Amino acid sequence: MLEIILDELTFDKCLKCNACVSSCPVANTTLEFGGPKHLGPELKRLMNNQGLIDDKRIELCTLCGSCDMSCPENVHVSTLTAFAKAFHSEKSGTKFRDFVLSNAEWVGKLASAFAPVTNLAMGMKPVRKMMEMVMDIPAERQFPKYRFHNFNRVYKKKTASTERKVAYFAGCYATFNAPEVAMSFIKVMEHNGIEVVKPDQKCCGVPMFANGQMKQGLKNANHNITSFLEYTRQGYDVVLTCTSCTLAFKKEYVSFLNTEEAKELASHVYDADEYLRLLKESGELNMNFAPMNERAGYYAPCHMKAQGIGNPAMDILELIPGFKIQDVGAGCCGQCGTFGFKTEKYDVSMAIGRPMAEAVKEVDADYTVTECGMCKNQLDQLTDKTVKHPMQIVAESYERATVLD
Amino acid sequence: MYDVVVIGQGLTGMLSAIWAKEHGYRTALVATGSGKILQSIGVLDLIPGANGGLKEWSELYQLAAIEQSQLTEAMEQFKVLTKRIGYPYKGNIEHLVPIVTGSGHIKQTALYPETISPIKEHGQVIIVGFDEVIDFQPAYIKGNLQKSRPQLSIDTIKISLGKQSQRTMTQLDAARILDQKENRDHCIKQIKQQMAEREISQPDLFIFPASLGVENWTDTLEQFTKELGANVTEAPGMPPNTTAIRLHEKLKKEAIKLGVRFYVDTTVVGCKMDGPVIESLTFKTSNHTTNVSGKQFILATGGILGGGLEVTSDGVRETALKLAADANGQLIHCPENLYPVGAARGSSVTHNGITGGVYSVLSSHEMVGKLHQQAIIGGFRSA
Repeated sequence: MLEIILDELTFDKCLKCNACVSSCPVANTTLEFGGPKHLGPELKRLMNNQGLIDDKRIELCTLCGSCDMSCPENVHVSTLTAFAKAFHSEKSGTKFRDFVLSNAEWVGKLASAFAPVTNLAMGMKPVRKMMEMVMDIPAERQFPKYRFHNFNRVYKKKTASTERKVAYFAGCYATFNAPEVAMSFIKVMEHNGIEVVKPDQKCCGVPMFANGQMKQGLKNANHNITSFLEYTRQGYDVVLTCTSCTLAFKKEYVSFLNTEEAKELASHVYDADEYLRLLKESGELNMNFAPMNERAGYYAPCHMKAQGIGNPAMDILELIPGFKIQDVGAGCCGQCGTFGFKTEKYDVSMAIGRPMAEAVKEVDADYTVTECGMCKNQLDQLTDKTVKHPMQIVAESYERATVLD
Repeated sequence: MYDVVVIGQGLTGMLSAIWAKEHGYRTALVATGSGKILQSIGVLDLIPGANGGLKEWSELYQLAAIEQSQLTEAMEQFKVLTKRIGYPYKGNIEHLVPIVTGSGHIKQTALYPETISPIKEHGQVIIVGFDEVIDFQPAYIKGNLQKSRPQLSIDTIKISLGKQSQRTMTQLDAARILDQKENRDHCIKQIKQQMAEREISQPDLFIFPASLGVENWTDTLEQFTKELGANVTEAPGMPPNTTAIRLHEKLKKEAIKLGVRFYVDTTVVGCKMDGPVIESLTFKTSNHTTNVSGKQFILATGGILGGGLEVTSDGVRETALKLAADANGQLIHCPENLYPVGAARGSSVTHNGITGGVYSVLSSHEMVGKLHQQAIIGGFRSA
């Protein structure tokens, strides 16, 4: 039986003011969703000191965390909904499809091993029709490409000897779909005289939490905590390029596990841009940026906003001479990790994404910048702009500067 | 390092951040939640819960020193801003207007969005409710409204939005439904049908919940006014009120597009002082403690209802920076570069626990003006 650990994260403070409901991207799009207030604090209140209630409506929660950000009373609504999701899976079972989607790492290993074939097959209509029929994965949904030369194959460094040392958590997306993001990050660190190691790591667990696979997710969490604490205790900083993995390390591990180890690790974790901003503030950042006369639109992922770190990607990119960047000011993308890959949620996913696509169009920049691979997937599908990770731009500016020197 | 760090995301915080950024200052906004605009009804009162005019207001709020020109300027600046973000406010502080609320009571307000129309003494009105929205009951509203408007002839109509919902539907849900034309057509048809069946004559005003569209409120207002052949008003009541949601969302989007940096889901736990000035703010985000340094700090955390002040057995306490306050909630030793705005200035500028929007606007305007003056005369103090 699942135990809901809440500790100081009390739901008692909930005033039922509806701030979370009016900020929830899913509730704002469909009346099918019970909403964060009803399925978070209210459900918990109902279940307190009594039996747990299995509520099917929780399936539509994406764990984006908008509810947590909106709550004036600091109730951690998404912790409650995550446990409601876990309990629902435990009681009602998990669809084979959701099991597959939640194992992003396992899929990534397999798909990248046969990468050219996987990508070809995923682009073929009959294959996709078949997947829709058998797996309930919509045929119209674009998938990210998988790479044979994935990051695990190309980068294996385990120790660093520089003064500042970084232990990098790449995440499934940068490992299997976008090794160029991981490599850009390593280059950026090199330009700052910092060596990067890649400790032993498993999927951060976010896709598992989102699909109610709480036990498996927490297993991965504990694995990563043990593996990375070994490094932080030797003076390494933990840096990530995926905002969802970062949020898991900073917040979800702590909220779900509530262990001293999780707390200890969280205090050493930084988003890549946040880390560069720290270097800047302490006067350590390499400021030798080559000018880039480009105009970009920035799309802020929910899991970046939820970290409460301002907007470090824009803070860093604005340091590049000639580089213009404008926040498109959009809400949730609607892809929400595995959510947008499910047939019954596809229409909702598209409807959530449309205002984002309009905002991107309105700003009409040369390309879009975002940190999240899943947001990129939705941007790729709904807009005609190229999407880049901030590290790719910073790396390019540094590289150009080296050539100029 | 920011030029200005605003604490709080209510109306005062949001306006202070936007106006500071417009002056060209690097601005950050630190907030726990989405602020109290969402819990409000989206209109700007002079004295909340009372009918006093400007004279009573300035006496009650001890505003003797306020110059008339400042006040006019602040209101104008708010109107210009709301117009630019696509949600214009009308009305003025010299002539308050009576509006009807979602409980059928009449209140006097100064500034209100275009979806709201004042209510007259005479004539005929129809209150329209939706079966699905239980927070807005036309018969109940009629009962209350009739008491304060005995000469008004009031009819009520209930119609269906025709939607199934897995949760209790709010005024905001209804508003999102009315964003679509086919749903509006469906509603107008039912209203006309009931008017014909029950032989209700054409009214001067239709009263709806605060549900006349979110993104497409202009289309909704226009279509309802035109096809129903009368003025239309929203009567905001239980949150979430769409009147307030539109203001919050549009202000936030404007602030983000201007480049205000939002640090949300954070709890301010203290600050680092350097003599009489604040050097940086310390706040917690889940398990991280972060410091944000700035030159000037705006305290827009609200009063007792907003959570910025707390009444304890030892007296009133300021909750964010843990500064000592007097019995009225006014800071005893305010750091030189900290500017309390709105209800955070203490109970002398609140009535029934809140400032009323007009004071929030004035206070934000005044404070940003002061920051600017300081910057021009002495340069920002480098902390």
